[in-house]
Amino acid sequence: MSLFQQWAFLVKEALDKSFLLAKFFCAVHVTNTYLGSTAVVKTKNQTLPLILSLCRNPTISYLQVFGPSMLPTFSLTNELVLLERISTRNGKAGTGDVVVLQSPENPRKFVTKRITGMEGDKITYIVDPKNNDKTETIIVPKGHVWVQGDNIYNSYDSRNFGPVPYGLLKGKIFWKIWPTSAFGSVAKRPETVDPALKDLEQANQS
Amino acid sequence: MMKQLFGKWSAIAKESIDRAAIVAKLLCLLHVTNTYIFSPTLVYGPSMLPTLNLTGDVVLSEYVSHRLGKVGPGDVVLVQSPENPRKMITKRVVAMEGDAVSYLVDPSRSDRSRTIVVPKGHVWNQGDNIYASNDSRNFGPIPYGLIQGKVRCRVWPLDGFGSL
Repeated sequence: MSLFQQWAFLVKEALDKSFLLAKFFCAVHVTNTYLGSTAVVKTKNQTLPLILSLCRNPTISYLQVFGPSMLPTFSLTNELVLLERISTRNGKAGTGDVVVLQSPENPRKFVTKRITGMEGDKITYIVDPKNNDKTETIIVPKGHVWVQGDNIYNSYDSRNFGPVPYGLLKGKIFWKIWPTSAFGSVAKRPETVDPALKDLEQANQS
Repeated sequence: MMKQLFGKWSAIAKESIDRAAIVAKLLCLLHVTNTYIFSPTLVYGPSMLPTLNLTGDVVLSEYVSHRLGKVGPGDVVLVQSPENPRKMITKRVVAMEGDAVSYLVDPSRSDRSRTIVVPKGHVWNQGDNIYASNDSRNFGPIPYGLIQGKVRCRVWPLDGFGSL
C-alpha cells in the first residue's frame, strides 16, 4: 500500500473509534439527564472519585452537601446515592423529598436539601435554633418550594436564601447504595437527631 | 425451504434495523444540538416590543454562554419563569449581581421609581416594553441558574433578519 493509503486507513480507524466513544458518552449522558444517575453525597474538602464524575451530567460541576446539613439522613462520610431526574422535570417532587438543587446564590454549586413546603404552604421555621427559639411564618410563593436541611442547627437553606423557584430543582435522591450498611431508600421524613425528641415522637405515635 | 425463508427475513430485519439506527443517530444529533448548542425558538408576546414582534418571531438562541457565565447586561435571554416552571420567557438582562438597578415600578400609572441592589447569584431582567411586561419588577431578581439560553438573532420574518 502506498503511504497515502496507509495514512487514510489510519485516519478512518481513528474516526471510527472516536465515534464509538462519542456514542457511548451520548448514551451515558442521555440516561443521566433524562432518567437518573448516581451521585456522591459528600462533605466539604472531600474529592470526587473519577469514575463517578464520568457518569454524571457534564453540566454539573460538583455535588456537595454543605457540611453536615443533612444529618442523620446522610452521614458525614461519603455516601453514594441514586438520583432520578424524572420527578423534578414533571413537577412530581413534593414535600418530604430529598432533592438536588442549583444554589440560588451560586449557579455553579449544587446542594442537597429536603423539601419541607410547596407553593401555597404556610411554613413556620426556627430562624436560628443554635441561639434562640424565635420562629417566623411565611407562605411559600407560587412556583417556589421551601427547602431545609435535616440538621437545622448546621444547614444553609431556605431559612437563609429564601424560597427557591421550582425550576432550580434538578433531581430527587431516592436510594442509598453505599456504604452497604446504609443501603436502602431515603426516608420521606427527616429522622430525629435528639434522643429526647425521638422518645417523644415514639410516645406520640403509640 | 423454511431455512431460505428465515434467511431472507433475517436479512430484511437486519437491514431495517441498520436504517433505523441511522435515523436514530440523526435524531440524537439534532436533539443534542437543539438542547445544548443552539436552536431556533418561537417567541411571542408584547413584552419585548419593539425588539421582538407581538405575533411571534423565530429567533436563534444558543445554550452555551450561560453555562460559561458569559451572560451580561443587555443580553436578551430565555429564562424559566420563577412563577411557573413549565413556562419559558424572553427578557433582557438589565443588571447582574451586585449592581444597583433603578426601575419604574408602574410606568403606565405613575412616575414612581425604586432602586434595589441585585443579590448574589441573581440577575434583574426587564422586557423592552416596560408598559406591558411581567418581569423582575413583578417577581423580583431571578437566580442565574434559571437562565436557559441567550437569544442571538432573528431568522423569521425575513425582513427582520439580523441580530437584535
